[in-house]
Amino acid sequence: MVVEAKRSIDAAAAPSGGPLATATSGARVRVVAVRLDADVAAWLAAVGLHVGEEVVVLRRAVLGGPLHVRTSSGGEFAVARELAEKLDVVAAREAES
Amino acid sequence: MSEATAGRADACTIALVGRPNSGKSSLYNRMTGGNARVGNYPGITVDVLEGAVELPSGARAVVADLPGLYSVEATVARDTDEGVARSFLDRLRESSSEGDATPGRFLVVQVIDPTRLALGLRLTRELAAAKLPLLVALTHADVLTSEGREIDVARLESEIGAPVVLLCARDPDAKGALLAAVDDRLRDRDPPEPRASFDPAALARHVVRDVSTSEATRRRRRFTERVDAVLLHPLLGPLLFVGLMALVFAAVFLVADPVTGAFDALVGVARNGLGRVLGEGLVASFLADGILAGAGTVLAFMPQIVILTVALEVLEASGYLARGAFLVDRLLRVLGLSGRSFLPLLMGHACAVPAISATRVVRDPRERLTTILVLPLMTCSARLPTYALVLTAFFSGRSALFRACLFVGLYFAGIFAALVATFVLRRTATKGKSLPLVLEMPSYRVPQASVVARKAYRTARRFLRDVGTTIVIASAVLWTLLSIPMPGVHRDPDAPAIESSVAATVGRTIEPVTRPAGFDWRIDVGLIGSFGARELMVATLGVVYGVEDAEDDAAPLAEKLREAKRPDGAPVYGVRTGLALLAFFVLACQCMSTVAAIRRETSSWRWPAFVLGYTYALGYAAAVLVYQIGGVLGLE
Repeated sequence: MVVEAKRSIDAAAAPSGGPLATATSGARVRVVAVRLDADVAAWLAAVGLHVGEEVVVLRRAVLGGPLHVRTSSGGEFAVARELAEKLDVVAAREAES
Repeated sequence: MSEATAGRADACTIALVGRPNSGKSSLYNRMTGGNARVGNYPGITVDVLEGAVELPSGARAVVADLPGLYSVEATVARDTDEGVARSFLDRLRESSSEGDATPGRFLVVQVIDPTRLALGLRLTRELAAAKLPLLVALTHADVLTSEGREIDVARLESEIGAPVVLLCARDPDAKGALLAAVDDRLRDRDPPEPRASFDPAALARHVVRDVSTSEATRRRRRFTERVDAVLLHPLLGPLLFVGLMALVFAAVFLVADPVTGAFDALVGVARNGLGRVLGEGLVASFLADGILAGAGTVLAFMPQIVILTVALEVLEASGYLARGAFLVDRLLRVLGLSGRSFLPLLMGHACAVPAISATRVVRDPRERLTTILVLPLMTCSARLPTYALVLTAFFSGRSALFRACLFVGLYFAGIFAALVATFVLRRTATKGKSLPLVLEMPSYRVPQASVVARKAYRTARRFLRDVGTTIVIASAVLWTLLSIPMPGVHRDPDAPAIESSVAATVGRTIEPVTRPAGFDWRIDVGLIGSFGARELMVATLGVVYGVEDAEDDAAPLAEKLREAKRPDGAPVYGVRTGLALLAFFVLACQCMSTVAAIRRETSSWRWPAFVLGYTYALGYAAAVLVYQIGGVLGLE
């Protein structure tokens, strides 16, 4: 299984945001697009990372290591930086937490 | 085929499924009392544990503990943990639709950690969509209570259209409650149809109620956050990690040593007994020096394997190993692996055979294959007797610190070789993009002693079966090669019998090839002897040099090696021979059990042959290089 970016989705999908990889530690964001092969995206959704899910970035490992995130479903995950590049997020409103 | 499996014709199957870390294993342990046999399912190479239980109605059932699973819809490689669980479910479904089995002959019990209910319900929805007969078991009821939360079980049942039970696997009543629910569901002539139309996140929000001020939840979360702040600290985290791993390995050797000594003594008593009963003959020698010596070698490694398994299992169950994977992911990423490969690579330091099975946690096929291919380079405990012999023989004059550094250096040489091999393989033989790390970080938990004990027991049994058999066979074959004279070879009546044996003749034949590495025919005989299992190197050299029980006390053999002289009086071996031998042992895959494990896990002969070829080539090249450079530098 190969992870490949689908280039068809343009940046407009995340008007005020960007990839999860750029979110700072402590940020609360919502996944708005998953730019991955359908089968990888499906598995990722099953694991707990899918469009609509709210994510808090708990910490970022040094030297470009993985991100430690908590999803609103209660799961905590280590997500590699390369993968976080493929998840577009926007800031989530604090009031919804 | 196991008894439980064979009995499946009249017993129904209860398949425990769930996400990793959902509490499946604890529940399985509670249901079967820890009695497990490894099921034998055609087409499934991975262990699926099963145990027999009796339902309240008196019907018999087999509980199968499937590997962790996130989805039954997403594409997955067949030979990973997830793929195995999927094949198992497919098989159950096929067998029940073939008509020979009456409906209700199997039931899927999905185990969900209710503190992560929304995640579990995603899988529930997929299981319902797949029209599998379903029952949901919510575990960790105790954690839920301590967090001050309640679950509306009745509402959950009606929304998903399947029975739901709330349990705590640590509670002795859990077994009865679950089996009663299973029995009711199986005997229900008109069971409800599970619904696949709910929204997992919304449903989870609706059925979970906070009855406390949720201060307890916050406290628990704060605890995990505080622990994580230390263990995952950018600077402190890696330091603690290295320290902890060092501690684990030190403990393994400290604790294993006396146990190994006791086993040695036991085998010694058995050999003496055998000698008294059978006297001194070829048969007695075969049984004592071939079979029993092999069994003794196996037993010598058991304690280390078991203790390391226990240590790793405790770390895994506590939730720390996932943190370790988080810390090392970046490093492994540089080479083309991910944090998921970290556990198997760590286990490889005890024994490559269980470690190769453990690669099933790696979801990406290319990454998994790479990990399997480099695992034999990790310094497993079977190399240590040879390391110790060489250190005693050629470096006993040096300080203890020097020898300790050399010893540690050998460990790191193995790791370094594996890292380089990974780097090269990921750019050649296993080239291609792979899935980056997504790893669930479980909450910290106190490991359950019974689950850890069960795992250790299984590992020990597996080691005895897989590795033990190979070593005993290799030892028996070796005895034959060392004892049977080579036909047609003239024997000098003054020379020891071994010099005209088949092994010695072969050793002499290949001597010209190994001479650039400084190995003479005697070391070659040792290498032939350790082809099947590298554990046998010291014992083989002991036979060649006529030293009894060299594997128990290497000092007399070390002295013989040091004092071996050529006809012209020059020593046969020097420091650089020792170093060359170490280089060879670091790299060569002298282990048929590993080769068999690679064959099993890759379902092909191509990869085991590849591993044998590349590690032997590397080992030979490194030995020659070390010996020749040693010569240039003026080492003796």
